[in-house]
Amino acid sequence: MTIQTIKNEDALTVSVTGRLDTTTSPELDEELKKSLDGIRDLTMDLEGLEYISSAGLRILLSTQKTMNQQGTMKLINVSSMVMDVFEVTGFADILTIE
Amino acid sequence: MNEVQGKLIGDQYIIQLSGHVDSGNASAVENAVIDLIGQEPGRPIHIDAEQLDYISSAGLRVILHLRKTHPELTISNVKPDVYEIFEMTGFTQMMTIEKAYRVVSIEGCEEIGRGANGTIYRIDKDNVVKVYNNADALSEIQHEREVARTALVLGIPTAISYDVVRVGESYGSVFELLDAKSFSKLLATEPEKMDWCVREYVELLKKIHGTVVPAGELPDMKETVLNWAEFMKDHLPEEAGEKLLSMVQAVPYDEHMIHGDYHTKNVELVGDEVLLIDMDTLAVGHPVFELASMYNAFIGFSEMDHEIVKQFQGFDFETSQRFWNKVLAAYLGTDDPETIRQVEDKARIVGYTRLIRRLIRRKGLETEDGRSKIEFWKSRLLELLDRTDTLIFSKNELQLEATKENLPKVMDFVEKNLEEAGCPMKVQMQIVMAVEEIFVNIANYAYAPGTGAAVVRVEVSRDPGSATITFMDQGVPYDPLKKPDPDVALSAEEREIGGLGIFLVKKTMDEMTYEYKDAQNVLKIRKSF
Repeated sequence: MTIQTIKNEDALTVSVTGRLDTTTSPELDEELKKSLDGIRDLTMDLEGLEYISSAGLRILLSTQKTMNQQGTMKLINVSSMVMDVFEVTGFADILTIE
Repeated sequence: MNEVQGKLIGDQYIIQLSGHVDSGNASAVENAVIDLIGQEPGRPIHIDAEQLDYISSAGLRVILHLRKTHPELTISNVKPDVYEIFEMTGFTQMMTIEKAYRVVSIEGCEEIGRGANGTIYRIDKDNVVKVYNNADALSEIQHEREVARTALVLGIPTAISYDVVRVGESYGSVFELLDAKSFSKLLATEPEKMDWCVREYVELLKKIHGTVVPAGELPDMKETVLNWAEFMKDHLPEEAGEKLLSMVQAVPYDEHMIHGDYHTKNVELVGDEVLLIDMDTLAVGHPVFELASMYNAFIGFSEMDHEIVKQFQGFDFETSQRFWNKVLAAYLGTDDPETIRQVEDKARIVGYTRLIRRLIRRKGLETEDGRSKIEFWKSRLLELLDRTDTLIFSKNELQLEATKENLPKVMDFVEKNLEEAGCPMKVQMQIVMAVEEIFVNIANYAYAPGTGAAVVRVEVSRDPGSATITFMDQGVPYDPLKKPDPDVALSAEEREIGGLGIFLVKKTMDEMTYEYKDAQNVLKIRKSF
């Protein structure tokens, strides 16, 4: 998994490529924890995300909760495999997916 | 008279007929024969027709008369033209009449294969002959023809012999094998084809091991190995001998085919087809028995003297070792060294047992060299027996410590197996996700706060496409199916972080079952594709 972040004042875009699973998700967790301070507009670009498991979902949910306190969060470029997982778990309804 | 000679061989009186026997000389021949057998009354008689060029109906009547007084009469060495006469007149159905065997010379012929019972030579561009070690090999040839036919009917690509010939003092069977190249030759001369060879060799091996043989059609290899283990009891410390025997006894009956001598000289590339030859060791049994003979062919026999494999296979020991390691990894569907080593240990136990027994039976205990080899193999066998408790393994099974660190291994293993079965990418992802969720659960909770072992077994079928994955652990009994599903209609704020894993598995798999059996959690998921 690779993570790329682009910050523009209080807007942050995080691009995640590869696999977001038990092994890799702590890395994303850490990255987000240290960069969310003061962010009001978070975009997660999942174009290169091939795989997500519940460990990745957990991070998305906790990030969503954080952002609910301080601004908005949206996901873009979600692949069909990842979208299926969102739908089965009800995440499709609680996350903003474009 | 010239046409009739007699001689005594063993208990049997042999009458040699030569030239023509027709109405011109039939009664003279009959009288001569009666004279000869009158000198040796009461003996079974046999006609050697090697020199007989022609027989007419008058000559056939002589044979009918003889048969009245000697119903045991048989005829052998019959030339093709004369055999045709016997066949047309129905004599071949009435009594045992054997054709003369064509004589084939192997002088200067290339050796292309070698098995337990014989050596295979190329006699011309299209044909090969397997020459049997045993001079009295007709029944072995018959056996091999029958098992080769059995294998062919069951879908194993092999060559069936079309003729039996005389080669020097022994017999051979002739096969058509056009432009064939053994895998040994490929490995020796085109080393860059190693990975291709591994793939094809393993694919054929899996095909053999996936072939169910109707009961009774092939011998059960376990019986043979039980004999070896019984034999070894006299040559091992009591406890080790008992352990070996009980481990062999515990191997369950397996109705799948094994080749019994599956090394690279017995696998041939013919055009773009891969053919299996040397079928006389065909049997049914657990694949550990097959791996044992493979281990011996590539490593065991040459472990003390690396030149042996070079002489036998044509490639060096290092190549042999590399090939064996790659084959084992591909066969087991894993690169995990620990899993591979465990299976290799089991194969080595059976392999060394065979090597030691073989050498002792060849009077190895009577020579310095033999004793040192036996001691070498024995010390290894004892070490292996000490650290191994069962010969059984499942080829699509991974045994490892249930820790999060091992998760990538598990996922790789499952993915590899699915890929091989042609599972579509999307389903692969779903299954891998389910595997992750379940394995992480076991790693987190089964042995908490400590750790322990888990087994992951993958069973896939191609047609119809289906994958079943079984997880086993000996941790605290826990049925994940009892866990209530999360409420997926809640808002982000209301939702708990976590608790989604098992729910995802339930939603994406076709079936999920749990049982607690023999002090083990056994969780199974199944998905069609």
